Amino acid sequence: MAWNYSDKTKQLFLDAVQGRPGSHLGEVENPDGLGEHGSIACGDALRFTFRVRRHSTDPLQDVIVEARYLTFGCTSAIAASEALCMLIEQGGVSPVAALRITNDDIVRFLEGLPDQKIHCSVMGAEALAAAVFDWARKRGVDPSLLGVDIQPEEAEEGRLVCTCFNLTEPYLLRKIRELGLRTIPELTAATKAGGACMSCHHAPGGLQDLLDQVWGSQATAEPAAPPAPPAPEGLSPFQFMKRVEQVLDSYVRPMLRADGGDLELVDIKERVVYVRLAGACSTCIGATQTLKLLVERSLKEQVDERARVIAL
Amino acid sequence: MVYLDNNATTAVAPEVLEAMLPWLQGAYHNPSSMYEAAKIPARALDIARGEVAAVLGGVDPREVLFTSCGTESNNAALRGAARANPGRRHLVTTAVEHPAILEVCKAMAREGFELDVLPVDRHGQLDMADLVRALRPGQTLLVTAMHANNETGVIFPIDEIARLVKETDPAILVHTDATQTAGKLPLDLVDHLRNVDLLSFSGHKLHAPKGVGVLFQRKGARVAPYLIGGHQERGLRAGTENVAGVVALGRACALAREHAVDEVRVQALRDHLEREILARTPYALVNGAGAPRLPNTTSFAFHYIEGESILFELDRQGICASSGSACTSGSLEPSHVLRAMSVPRTAAHGSVRLSLSRYTTEADIDHAIAVLPDAVARIRRISPYWDTARGGPRVGAPE
Repeated sequence: MAWNYSDKTKQLFLDAVQGRPGSHLGEVENPDGLGEHGSIACGDALRFTFRVRRHSTDPLQDVIVEARYLTFGCTSAIAASEALCMLIEQGGVSPVAALRITNDDIVRFLEGLPDQKIHCSVMGAEALAAAVFDWARKRGVDPSLLGVDIQPEEAEEGRLVCTCFNLTEPYLLRKIRELGLRTIPELTAATKAGGACMSCHHAPGGLQDLLDQVWGSQATAEPAAPPAPPAPEGLSPFQFMKRVEQVLDSYVRPMLRADGGDLELVDIKERVVYVRLAGACSTCIGATQTLKLLVERSLKEQVDERARVIAL
Repeated sequence: MVYLDNNATTAVAPEVLEAMLPWLQGAYHNPSSMYEAAKIPARALDIARGEVAAVLGGVDPREVLFTSCGTESNNAALRGAARANPGRRHLVTTAVEHPAILEVCKAMAREGFELDVLPVDRHGQLDMADLVRALRPGQTLLVTAMHANNETGVIFPIDEIARLVKETDPAILVHTDATQTAGKLPLDLVDHLRNVDLLSFSGHKLHAPKGVGVLFQRKGARVAPYLIGGHQERGLRAGTENVAGVVALGRACALAREHAVDEVRVQALRDHLEREILARTPYALVNGAGAPRLPNTTSFAFHYIEGESILFELDRQGICASSGSACTSGSLEPSHVLRAMSVPRTAAHGSVRLSLSRYTTEADIDHAIAVLPDAVARIRRISPYWDTARGGPRVGAPE
């Protein structure tokens, strides 16, 4: 897939990669706020830190003077992190005011993002919220009094809905409302939920149910996937298998072991027996064919005339 | 520009272009027409078919069908096999196939076929025990396994797979997608691949243009035509022949045989590239290094960074490469191939594939060696999991 990034996105990425002065790559030492979002398994992660100029009496009037990021992710994830820091520093805002920066603001600042990259901007907003929560805790500000709905990610423990990306029901419900997500593809683009194994799409309590819970079932319905095909059945006749094992154990294996080799019984289908040489014999050229004949003759004589051997 | 993405497509060879041009200029007649002028393109098709038959080990030219691309060949093989054998409703494939196989298999599974997908180990290799356990004599329609993997270059033992299938039940069809091996590895359908019924490949991976492919269909294999509506290709693949494309493919196959020895040089360049990159880059590995691989392909996995940003950086410095990372595929997960191989989660997103051709020069490889380790280091400086001062993962980063 070719890159459809805006010039702005490309430029911010290059500034970061080249370590151009003025980029916000890095980490604030002893930060006033630290927030992380994502994980290495999910394919992107952001560590966001900021420093404030403290107001002498009222923490709510602290102003963010320095914002830094470290990002594991694609071009747009890195550019979105840079954008977030620029938006905050340019604004000269308090941590609480910074929360009004949404993922839409980041997308606008980047002059657009491809649909599949929207989650990169959501990641920025999430890490910011976590960092502000951290600041509130350190400054003794009661987050519930801020008039903004913020919570640390660990507070959103709840039923796991998307196990691939570790996303919980409270988190997804909040994102569905905040971002006005109406369909599973929108939800996936914004949060990654259901973007991997997809088993949570229509499972009970899954993504569709969460969307229905927020918007009602009419608004978001899409056709369900067809039922999975029935599981295959495959039985080998038990007695045949037992007799084959007896012959291999009592007759064939002792012979092979005398030469430092061994034999693995891999499968039996009807009267076909699959075996694999192990040990010293497995590296001997010609042994495979010899073994096939030896085992086949033994089985034909001692178990069933129709027995056939295939050597792996 | 240094082009190291030859598993995606290749440059048209100058000789190939020269061979095809007359068929786009004056000699436009339909090979199926009755007049004398039409016999010239018809004869050109015969010659090209002979070249392809030769590169496949000297098969009967009538077993070579020209198609529009590798994907069509794959669809034709699987769908045609199903149509000709309605009593068989079970398919076997592998977890690392190209989507042109995997998605067709899944589509057939949705339509009621039973499907077994064989896993691979961390080197990208199959266990033949898994294959034989999956086979169902009397029920299995077809086993399809790629000859070599497009992302890692890992080669499957198709001869061994085909032998086990045919010994189990000769009526089970064996198909292989040889898109990455045609022109790179010997394909002898008369000798070591004699148990293979169907084989697909595409022209544009071996220096022919896009828009032409091959389906080898062994005489006697029960496979119904996929495209119908004309007598072309003896009724097995309807549609007016892409004469220029077919001639180009014939020429490209002849060139591949002439240049077979180049693969040794290509492998030497690839091995040099791998050694140098690994020596200059900590926390890097080569996917599939423990398995037999194509001589031209290397797939690196760099821990703690994401592949798409590496590609972007390489592109800026004039290197064309690709990645199995999630962000390049339009999905959210690393490629199904790397996942099937259980590449460590700290590196699964950081893959970069470099694939060479006989036109790759030492200078190209030197440029890649000069650029890639730096690009990795610069992007690691941005990563929250990397400690640049230490030159290793940050304390507490996932292992």
